[in-house]
Amino acid sequence: MLNTDTMGDTPHLLLVDDERSIREPLAQFLTRQGFRVTQAGDAEGARARMTAYAIDLVILDIMMPGEDGLSLTRHIRESGEIPVILLTARTEETDRIVGLEMGADDYVVKPFSPRELAARVKVILRRAAAGGVRQHAPESGSFAFAGWVLKSGERTLVDRDGVSVPLSTGEYNLLHALVTRPRQVLTRDQLLDLTQGREAAAFDRAIDNQVSRLRRKIEADPKAPDLIKTVWGGGYTLAAEVTRL
Amino acid sequence: MALLIAVALFLAQAINFGLLLQERRQARLDQATGPAVTRIVDADERIAAGKKIGGGGSWSRTRVLAASPIPPGAERLGDIERALRVALTDAGVKANRIETQVLPISPNDPRLRYVSQSRIERLLRAGAELVVAVERPDGQWIVLNIGWTRNDSTILWRLFAQTAILYGVVLVPLLWAGRRISRPLRRLAAAARDFHPGTATEPIVESGPQDVRDVIVAFNALRLRVTAMLDEKDRMLGAIGHDLRTPLAALRVRIESVEDDTDRAKMADTIAEMNRTLDDILSLARLGRPSEPPTEVDLAALVDAVVEDFRDLGHSVGFEEADRLQVRLRPSPMRRALRNLIENALKYGKSAEVTLTATPHEVVIAVCDRGPGIPADRLGDVFEAFTRLETSRNKETGGIGLGLALAHAIVREAGGDIALENRDGGGLIARITLAR
Repeated sequence: MLNTDTMGDTPHLLLVDDERSIREPLAQFLTRQGFRVTQAGDAEGARARMTAYAIDLVILDIMMPGEDGLSLTRHIRESGEIPVILLTARTEETDRIVGLEMGADDYVVKPFSPRELAARVKVILRRAAAGGVRQHAPESGSFAFAGWVLKSGERTLVDRDGVSVPLSTGEYNLLHALVTRPRQVLTRDQLLDLTQGREAAAFDRAIDNQVSRLRRKIEADPKAPDLIKTVWGGGYTLAAEVTRL
Repeated sequence: MALLIAVALFLAQAINFGLLLQERRQARLDQATGPAVTRIVDADERIAAGKKIGGGGSWSRTRVLAASPIPPGAERLGDIERALRVALTDAGVKANRIETQVLPISPNDPRLRYVSQSRIERLLRAGAELVVAVERPDGQWIVLNIGWTRNDSTILWRLFAQTAILYGVVLVPLLWAGRRISRPLRRLAAAARDFHPGTATEPIVESGPQDVRDVIVAFNALRLRVTAMLDEKDRMLGAIGHDLRTPLAALRVRIESVEDDTDRAKMADTIAEMNRTLDDILSLARLGRPSEPPTEVDLAALVDAVVEDFRDLGHSVGFEEADRLQVRLRPSPMRRALRNLIENALKYGKSAEVTLTATPHEVVIAVCDRGPGIPADRLGDVFEAFTRLETSRNKETGGIGLGLALAHAIVREAGGDIALENRDGGGLIARITLAR
């Protein structure tokens, strides 16, 4: 399992899960995907391995006996910039939100597709390598813009009267990508890329279609949009001040 | 209740007064006839002895007249006349006719001038005099006047006054006692009606008589037990969810080593299906204790969002975008209910059509398909968990019929209802009706 010969350029993942039945095959899978994987069965073991190795990314189960994943996330965040991906069960939605708020970079819900997990690991590692700037839990918190509030924890959009306007997964992902990068021009390809990290559903439909749907929901006049503006040369931008709440 | 007691009390009073009245009348009769008889006998003896008639005071003087002073049409007092006749016969006085009449006494009566003040008062209080005329066998009439207590109307007032006192003394404490019992009972009934195990509420304050207190204590204990049981159930389900999901997750990881892509995809689908069912079970079981408060939601956008998610997955679901429609509900369970209905329609009908209509009082979301429909006699059964109609709906599509049961429970919890109906031309309509 240890690929000592490729140490250095092979990303080194620490996989922390008390369930051997998940941990071991997952470690095998990730190794086949070209990662170096170190395993730990509990928080204590994880801490020891993080001191022993230069870990590039931690994959962490939230629910573990003893010290749980949330507490360990906090510890990791306090001691450095190592990215964290949480493994959660759907029943632990609040844990998930708390985890993101504590500085986890992403999460997958059990039972998850290992390929998807590997894809996310790659995205996060690429991001970390590119700028070194960690995305501080991009989806946690609420974003206020032009009288609207996008609550990322609950994935809802609330208007100025406090009425929730439910969004489809695709619409949510697109709007989220826009509000986290206000006044930046995002090309269709960029938007596709940004909305991809989430759920496997929403990609095959054209971004343009999603944009026009979103405009119908949030623009005063969808035919003359003030918020989501089309930029010449292909792309969109959110023309509004965004405040993180 | 209070009215019934009031009426009963009044009736009892009326009966009492009837008896009292009877007695008084008898007493008055005796009071009037006694002295009259004495005086008539006395006068009769004097006449027989040839003596002068006199005495008895100026206004009530006994006198002998040639004819009766009582006019023929006057109202007579039969019972007094009969009593007089009996008494006179006993005394050995022969009388032909006996006539009586009651005359009112006016305060200006000239006769009263010669009467003492206390007597006047007594007479005026009595209000009337009884004129008695007895015809002797020789045709002479012995006539005399006696004070006569009128058949007074004050007795009626007294009845009312006494009843009022009785009401004050009996009814008020009774009502107070009744309230003391009924108020905590009413509170108890309201608490039992509004008891939702998920919401933490204060125990009911023990008040009222001991029996009622005991009931309240028992109810509070019952509520705690129910809440504890539901907590236990939640913990159990959480444990079940975790315990099933972990091997499921392990399985999902392991199938990545399956070389055959089709095989692997099928396995992944099966695992996803199992996971959805697990989700349904957990949601259904947790439904009574919602974690999310109801909020104002644009229902049109909600339906649109759910439909859009299906379209993103490549399903054919029709929905005309509708105007904003504000409703108060919990959005996540409602999304799930609608998703389950659409999933069901897609499962059996391959495509689905969703409509949203609003009236001033209710909102109807209809999910229509062109599948085989459901036999009319089994339309109600499908909402029972674990019901699947193998006969008409396709067997290979899987599922244990939890989806509809969950949708039903969610909509019920939101105060609405779901009805199923077979469509003209084949297919099924599932209608969610919500109050606005």
